[in-house]
Amino acid sequence: MSVSVFAKRIGQFWRAIALGLLIVATHNEATWAQTLTGSVSSAAEGAMEGVLVSAQKAGSPITVTVVSDEHGRFRFPDGQFSSGHYALRIRAVGYDLEDPQAVEIGTAPANVAIRLRPAADLAAQLTNTEWLMSMTGTPQQKRPLIECMSCHTLERIVRSTYSPEAFVPVLARMAQYANNTTQARVQKRVAKRPVRDDFLRKLADYLATVNLSSGRTWPYELQTLPRPKGRATHVVITEYDLPRKTIAPHDVRTDAHGNVWYSNFVENFLGELDRRTGAHQEYPIPALKPDFPKGALDLEPDADGNLWLAMMFQTGLAKFDMKSKTFQLFPIPPDLDNDAAQQSMVMPRSSNVDGKVWTNEVAKQSIMRLDLKTGKYELIDPYKLLPRGTQHGPYGMVADAQNNLYFMDFGGEFIGRVDAKTGESTLFPTPTQNSWPRRGMLDERGRLWFAEFAANKLGMFDTKSESFKEWNAPAPYTYPYDAFMDKDGDLWSGGMASDRVLRFDPQSGRSVEYLLPRPTNIRRVFVDNSTSPVTFWAGNNHGAAIIRLQPSD
Amino acid sequence: MTHYRAGAVTFLSLAIALTALRPALAGGIGFSDEDIANQGGGGPSFFGFVRLVDGPGIADAKVTAELKSRGALVTRSDIMGVYKIPGFGKDVNPDDVIITCAKDGYKQANVVRMPHDASDTKDPVEVECYLQKQ
Repeated sequence: MSVSVFAKRIGQFWRAIALGLLIVATHNEATWAQTLTGSVSSAAEGAMEGVLVSAQKAGSPITVTVVSDEHGRFRFPDGQFSSGHYALRIRAVGYDLEDPQAVEIGTAPANVAIRLRPAADLAAQLTNTEWLMSMTGTPQQKRPLIECMSCHTLERIVRSTYSPEAFVPVLARMAQYANNTTQARVQKRVAKRPVRDDFLRKLADYLATVNLSSGRTWPYELQTLPRPKGRATHVVITEYDLPRKTIAPHDVRTDAHGNVWYSNFVENFLGELDRRTGAHQEYPIPALKPDFPKGALDLEPDADGNLWLAMMFQTGLAKFDMKSKTFQLFPIPPDLDNDAAQQSMVMPRSSNVDGKVWTNEVAKQSIMRLDLKTGKYELIDPYKLLPRGTQHGPYGMVADAQNNLYFMDFGGEFIGRVDAKTGESTLFPTPTQNSWPRRGMLDERGRLWFAEFAANKLGMFDTKSESFKEWNAPAPYTYPYDAFMDKDGDLWSGGMASDRVLRFDPQSGRSVEYLLPRPTNIRRVFVDNSTSPVTFWAGNNHGAAIIRLQPSD
Repeated sequence: MTHYRAGAVTFLSLAIALTALRPALAGGIGFSDEDIANQGGGGPSFFGFVRLVDGPGIADAKVTAELKSRGALVTRSDIMGVYKIPGFGKDVNPDDVIITCAKDGYKQANVVRMPHDASDTKDPVEVECYLQKQ
């Protein structure tokens, strides 16, 4: 027997062994992976469409959710569950789960008839969007509340009993909290932030008209959004609970291998999640300023797939080497640093072109550029044309192939461009004034898709023609935070208000809004284009969970 | 005494709060009222028409207002050919701002600056920009 024939036989032998093992593994899987199906009904409506049904195995960090169809039927994906005890949860505004509260999944397919009863406390079920729809007051009066959602839900405000006088010191106190604050982890700013007393007083006066300061019930009717229907029910949502309540996932994305990574907004860790098992790992980021608020915001890959983090009040940037799993820190120099200094954004994507990484300096309303060779930062004021003291700030950042920067003017109304070679900046006002462009992404055709946070719109800036298009979000008061254009031409968005993920077709104007199983404070949105249909990822910033949303069409 | 002390602390806190002049910044809570915050700083603003030479207004033309070494602001004309450029900083001399216009298939023919009192920064500067077909 020749060497090559021998090698071939050996190869066949091992392939046969591997096939045998695969058959055994598949057979085992089939004996314990079962299907859960069922129906949802209530006395008031009979069979109910658009009810979210969630199942979580005891001891598991993973909750899977599906939505009932027009016949009130639901079906979890086949092979989703192993044998065990599963807690059931529902979401249908105006209803609570009557029974069953749990289901045992054994060797046979399980089928449950879920019954709902009228909600004991409707107010506890309202989203921020629904509170804003319900409240009396002008859009102008309600506008400042969109900033409250960064740290807590609006329910906290409307359930309070503060008078205007009592509200003023509360608001003044909250203005001194870092923006990377959650209910689970409150962080104070080191640099006192001045707040205009007339703003506080005006806001306090208004808030006391929408809370419980004048009675036991709200002086307005509670409004709710309709339940999902049709295409919005064709979805599977997976929530991965993170191991500590304090973890605040801000930016979530997958890498080339499908692993999930996230920035923690309130703690100095980079997180990694195995999407198959829910296994979780953290990489501690060294503290540059131990007495300052912890946490990072923007998480972006460079051309080599290494991850960069903007270190917020810790200041500077951190690069995470994906091979060695170590951090390299780029602190800002003392002449640029102060107690208010804050880097919220980083854009390393085209740093391979010129060795420069973009970031921002929030306290100076400026852009900074890091030279990777020297470690030095240069400060760029993109608003030199504009009057001093107006409200602007470079926020979301993207870079084109030449490493020219496009930034979103959060607090203002511009898309800005900084030329990589000259450093000159050009400002492009959005068609809508005071739109507060927040974050977005640049597609391969040079179109910058972004969220107009305060305008409740999605926008597109064509960097070639230097022209805009805008679309209203389908529901009022949803305040999109970010936008992501997928490979199929659908624009995805989410935010801090509505507990919904928006999928929008700019060509047809058609949209789908997927309701999420729990109150979900979404920041960065990310779409994995390697799957068909695509997979949407985001963090629940206040809920210590990573969200995966898989549309079935 | 305790009441006086508490009052003094409250007064001091409020006094600190009252020194507030910096507007809300990105990524943080500002309880902002952008209609007040973004009223502008009293510098020059510009408006005018983008027109075909001896013809009507031209919609969706790119209008650039550039100030040497300080950058540029780019907007577009509306359906009537009208454009508006919001106020620049107080220290900007309107005569230093160069207005140009462009549109595919056209070339810029002429820019006409209407008479303007340079000392009146609240009065917007009218600049007409003329295009001709290529």
